[in-house]
Amino acid sequence: MSIELTTKDGHVTITNEVISTVAGGAAIECYGIVGMASKNQLKDGIAEILRKENFSKGVVVRQDDDLISIDMYIIVSYGTKISEVAHNVQSQVKYTLDKTLGLPIHAINIFIQGVRVQAE
Amino acid sequence: MVVRTIEGAKFAQMVLLGANHLTNNATMIDALNVFPVPDGDTGTNMNLSMTSGAAEVKKLENESVTVVSEAFAKGLLMGARGNSGVILSQLFRGFAKGVNGAEVLDTKTFAKALQTGVNTAYKAVMKPVEGTILTVAKDTAKKAVELAETTEDIIVFMEGVLKASKKSLAHTPELLPVLKEVGVVDSGGQGLVVIYEGFLASLKGEALPESANATVEMDDLVNAEHHKLVQDYMRTEDIEFGYCTEFMVKFEDEKLKENPYDEEVFRQELSELGDSLLVVSDDEIIKVHVHVEYPGQAIDLGQRFGSFISIKVENMREQHTSIVGDKVKTKEKPKKKQDYAIVSVAMGDGLKELLESLGASVVIQGGQTMNPSTQDITHAIEEAHAKRVIILPNNKNIVMAAEQAADLSEDEVIVVPTKTIPQGMSALLAFHPDSSLETNKANMLEASKQVKTGQITYAVRDTQIDGLTIENGNFMGLADSKIIATGKDKLDVIKQLLAELVTEEDEIVTILQGEDAADEEIEIIESYIEAEFEDLEIEVHKGNQPIYSYIFAIE
Repeated sequence: MSIELTTKDGHVTITNEVISTVAGGAAIECYGIVGMASKNQLKDGIAEILRKENFSKGVVVRQDDDLISIDMYIIVSYGTKISEVAHNVQSQVKYTLDKTLGLPIHAINIFIQGVRVQAE
Repeated sequence: MVVRTIEGAKFAQMVLLGANHLTNNATMIDALNVFPVPDGDTGTNMNLSMTSGAAEVKKLENESVTVVSEAFAKGLLMGARGNSGVILSQLFRGFAKGVNGAEVLDTKTFAKALQTGVNTAYKAVMKPVEGTILTVAKDTAKKAVELAETTEDIIVFMEGVLKASKKSLAHTPELLPVLKEVGVVDSGGQGLVVIYEGFLASLKGEALPESANATVEMDDLVNAEHHKLVQDYMRTEDIEFGYCTEFMVKFEDEKLKENPYDEEVFRQELSELGDSLLVVSDDEIIKVHVHVEYPGQAIDLGQRFGSFISIKVENMREQHTSIVGDKVKTKEKPKKKQDYAIVSVAMGDGLKELLESLGASVVIQGGQTMNPSTQDITHAIEEAHAKRVIILPNNKNIVMAAEQAADLSEDEVIVVPTKTIPQGMSALLAFHPDSSLETNKANMLEASKQVKTGQITYAVRDTQIDGLTIENGNFMGLADSKIIATGKDKLDVIKQLLAELVTEEDEIVTILQGEDAADEEIEIIESYIEAEFEDLEIEVHKGNQPIYSYIFAIE
């Protein structure tokens, strides 16, 4: 599964792996996120924080017609305004994908998989 | 006279002036915004967040610094907007923790609070990006801790803090390449510096400029009553630089040949004329804000580089004299709180009336496509003005926000997680004003489970769900939020839904008529029910709810 772009000089294929790594990388730089989580909580352990090489487990890339949608599963820090953190992730991921891969994203759906209470 | 401590009331004024000063500079900060997403809203977001924080502080009178900083943190959290707003809320959440019960702030406590704020803020991010508001807060707190070791004079301390924050801000382009590329300092960091500027001005009793670009949201903060708080601490004749001067210059190549523009040099020249100086420039324009005694001199300096886009000069002494005349209204005595109140959520005026008739004190307009925020619910709780409040969200998407609002409230607030209007109605009927909160919660929850909910709505797109294929425009029948029937014919879907829901034990069906449901249709449905389920009583209410043509409550 990958995204195909056609330019006047030929095809560009971007694998989902690339998109999810870029999207995950943008997300974890967002303030208020403490990690990416797996979408299959039961299989992979409850809200386990993923390492960079496994981001694709927490980022699902879908393509319907010509529209690309992304689902992201994240863990946020306790005591932040979660709705706003989610919104910040959406705009940051959208911007980064557009800037680095030239991919217009139709929708970014955020799933908050956990809230992490930080040790004082 | 050396000031060694800050009382709660003084700290409240510092917060208010910081917020006010940020409002005046929001547009300037927007213009700096290039990271993480260059959408030019940092100033706006920070301003909205700060306004919400200040609004909480304004409610207090003569409380300890602990109470004020906690209220401020709570307001910031609830109103947090954008990255900068979320970070700001964390900085001051930690600040409040660092104050740690103190009655007043001395330099040591102040420094510790700043440092705790930074620690808290850094914990909420995986990969802190340096060269942002985080960096400015960190450098400032570090300097504050050093200063607190050497001085007890609050004003000397705050001056040092502000200086450190400006120094750190100036250094942000060295840490974050994108800033250097564009030639700006970090916008969020600039916002924090502006807040500290407000803090210091409040401590010194100096006026900061009012500005024409205050947004509508700020109106309630920028009214005379608020100014009075700040302004009463200084006399008109104490204003050293009487004119708030702002201008924008558009560069012209001709003039630049003669007078090459160097921001640092220009800033230096202006700083000799007055204070409260801000200079922002890019390849095309310079924006200047400064308080001076002779505005002409500042304006002349700017004209060397190009032509004016705008000029604004305001006489601050005049403004000040007129403000000091105002008297703050004494607060009305708060009404006595009633014992119990119920806050509920519904869409449509009919449903609102219905819930009120069943005993809801406040009904928030909201539902499936328009979920009220935590703040809306918090407002409703306050409006209900009761010692004990029960919230009925009537929608599963609102339960979370309701729980949050309950946590934030200082009253005894519980949530009975009703997911539909009929569940909310049943819960209301089970309420007893003489029972304890726990008993009521248990009874209401039990009652809400006794009722079955059927809802008729239509699909807005093609989809496949619960094993059914649904086309755009089809009607759907939901049994307790699971789709069990779908089709082009509304009555057909209603019949399927009722057949599924109604059992022999049921005694009554209540029909809530939606805004798009015709009276003739209701008659058809009534005759169908009478024919099909002869023992079932029927009640019809006009709910006027959007989206759901009909809601059935069956028990």
